[in-house]
Amino acid sequence: MPAPVPFDPQEIVDAEYKERPTREGVTTKRMICAACDIACSVVGEVQKGRVTKIRSSDNPIFKDNICMKGIVAPKGLAHPNRILHPLKRVGERGSGKFEQVTWEEAMSDISSRLKKIVAEHGPEAWAVSTSQWNTSTDHGLGRRVMNHVGSPNWISGVALCAGNTAAINRFSYGWFPFGDFSNTNCIVLMGHNPRRHSWTPLYNSIRSAQARGAKLIVMDPRRSSSAERADIWLPLKAGSDAAMMFGWLKVIIDEELYDKEFVADWTLGFEELKERVNEYPLDRVADLTGCDPEMIVEAARVYATSGPSIIPWTPITDMQRNSTSGIRLQTILRSICGYVDVPGGELLQGFNPDIVNESAIEMHHVLSDEQKMKQLGSKDHPAFTYRGQLAFREPTKRVYGQEYANLVTGCHMATPSATFRAMAGEGEYPVKAFFFLGNNPLMSYANMPLIHKAMMNQDLIVSHEQFMTPSAQLADYILPADSWLERPWIHDMFGWMSTIRFSEKAMDPPGECKSTFEFWKQVAGALDMPDVVPWDTIEDFYDYRVEGTGKSFADLISDTEVYFKKPAFKTYEKTGFATPSGKVELKSSLLEELGFDPLPYFREDPPHDKDYPLKMFTGVREDPFFQTGHRHIPEMRARCPEPQIYLNEKTAKAAGVSEGDWVTVENQLGKVKALLAIKDAMPDDLVRVPHGWWKPEMAQGNGSLSGAWDYSDAQLCRDDPDYLDLEQGIPHLKGIPCRVVPLAAEVPVDTATSAQHMEPAE
Amino acid sequence: MNDEQKRIRKKERSTRLAIWMAARSSRNKTFLDRMCRKMIAKAITVDPAKDFMRDEFVDNDQGFDPDELDRYQRGEQLAVGE
Repeated sequence: MPAPVPFDPQEIVDAEYKERPTREGVTTKRMICAACDIACSVVGEVQKGRVTKIRSSDNPIFKDNICMKGIVAPKGLAHPNRILHPLKRVGERGSGKFEQVTWEEAMSDISSRLKKIVAEHGPEAWAVSTSQWNTSTDHGLGRRVMNHVGSPNWISGVALCAGNTAAINRFSYGWFPFGDFSNTNCIVLMGHNPRRHSWTPLYNSIRSAQARGAKLIVMDPRRSSSAERADIWLPLKAGSDAAMMFGWLKVIIDEELYDKEFVADWTLGFEELKERVNEYPLDRVADLTGCDPEMIVEAARVYATSGPSIIPWTPITDMQRNSTSGIRLQTILRSICGYVDVPGGELLQGFNPDIVNESAIEMHHVLSDEQKMKQLGSKDHPAFTYRGQLAFREPTKRVYGQEYANLVTGCHMATPSATFRAMAGEGEYPVKAFFFLGNNPLMSYANMPLIHKAMMNQDLIVSHEQFMTPSAQLADYILPADSWLERPWIHDMFGWMSTIRFSEKAMDPPGECKSTFEFWKQVAGALDMPDVVPWDTIEDFYDYRVEGTGKSFADLISDTEVYFKKPAFKTYEKTGFATPSGKVELKSSLLEELGFDPLPYFREDPPHDKDYPLKMFTGVREDPFFQTGHRHIPEMRARCPEPQIYLNEKTAKAAGVSEGDWVTVENQLGKVKALLAIKDAMPDDLVRVPHGWWKPEMAQGNGSLSGAWDYSDAQLCRDDPDYLDLEQGIPHLKGIPCRVVPLAAEVPVDTATSAQHMEPAE
Repeated sequence: MNDEQKRIRKKERSTRLAIWMAARSSRNKTFLDRMCRKMIAKAITVDPAKDFMRDEFVDNDQGFDPDELDRYQRGEQLAVGE
């Protein structure tokens, strides 16, 4: 979203903007990068039918949105180990032995085996795992096919990253807002640390906002690079976000810094909230968070009085024992301070009325209520499942014009842990077929030993992938996936934003690689329901999606790379909020109906275990990698050759380990190997564990799974009840008890190389 | 309408105008489009020197040679660790 523009005529006279010249023999394409999930608008340069360069956009509103992963994509996706043809398993599951087959042979066998499983166990015995940002062209077609078959068991990494936040935000005001960085006066980062190479547009937006005087408040146990640039840094204990926000609310309510008119006119449950907040006096909050009361007071005052302020989405609060309460407390702070749906605040953008949105494409209405109620996890942890979200149908229709709003694809999911238990034969019914697309599920959810057991217990596993990931090594079929260089794309941030962007196809896919559009079209056809995906090509499908603009996809993309909806503010004054009451529900009527505390609360850690004296957090992105990807690219591995844990000097000394040592991080669930780096920016007794590590060059198959059994942090991520959020059933990844011990006789590593480029504070 | 409401209304109008200009700027075909583009560039460009995470990898990016990429894809140049 662009910044406000000055209208001094002299500015026009002084303004300069030069397009970059096009080199001879080079054509350019306006594209959206999918090297990670942030979707930067970029330019691809094409020579001899190949993308040879990715650079930042010529459009000033997207300028500088480029990182190393995007730049290296032409080489990373040309890697000689890319899967170019369909593969069928020929040995035991996990043997790593495959043979090449045709798409037709693969689809014929897949469909007959899936039909048999559905006939024997019911459609709910089929589960799918994906993250749409990796696959891009799915656009809800996977859910659409599943809904027609009758399975509700779709899972995704968005269960603990943005998707769940979207679902929980709805309980307060019916939508998932996006912060207006361009106009805000204050930004609050809750453990989040946007950087040049991770969340790059957010990094640029924060930089821009600070340059025009906006304040930055950072809560983070580490002295991160964002903390170093903040006006206020609150070094809270890992996992204590919700407690900190209770402290802020205590200050804001006691000092009457909230928007009294908005609270009186547009909220429900303020008095009950006040009572709950009074259970958290500042000395208790200081004890729970480890921060000085004076700092808490100062930060709360700045947030409430500098406004409009924003608390952008953070993947940190998403992944905690108190995730639901933490996210709800964010919504409450935004609401009572009057920052919802105002410029500079948190915008409830709604759908773009000219584009067929992905929630509509998914066709949730065709799945019967009986099947919806079978969604795994919905009995114990219903918040983001159909059971938790169905009550939003009427209010969403009233405000946003349709019943289903699957914001960030996170509002109608099965819970991952319950799904894997069912796959392992430990659930309420069996799941025997598992598809995953652009997704490495073995390493992307908590409790890897359970996920491995679950996958080994399947009758049919299908993977749509670019590379032989540890998860793909366990599949029956691996179908070759195309990449973002090789297909067009329409992007609306999965319903989160009303701004629509377009990406041009820049080159042909290599070998027999196909898009997720083609994958689901073939699956629908093989299951004897071709009309479910009736479009012949993805361009036809996009023409259907953009018909409301009065233009074809080709015309639109030649005209612009972005299509805006006319901005509107405070639309709730006409429609109410998309909650059952039409108000902001500080006390949630729906959570109460589901049997949960309707007000936020803070659930403290289980009793201390002396065998595991340290706390670890995981989930941090390293600059060269996105999730479990990119380890195969030489330039990226040169930046970060080995998995590294971080400790401070004091904690390392107490554990008997030193800089450059190979160590193991262990807890009750498992252990991983890593190289130790000493960082003075880390607090005492906290361990930073890197996310998503495996080594593509290591042996494939069950013994090693390319190093996943050595390095994958999912082996440390617990999903037992003490470590699950009650309402959502997602794992606590920010403050897991562990210990660090020396590992003898490991292969020596060039520690000087491994440490370079890594910023001390990250 | 009190002063705060007036301030918010003014901000709403300026944001709508900014979005309109961003749409014109993105189209970049007519004189008015290009003028919007220049104004937006002027308004939102942050001094590169203030980018505290500047990186040679970004600043010096030259892209790749198409023939080298072909050879790489055929496995004629091995990747790290292989």
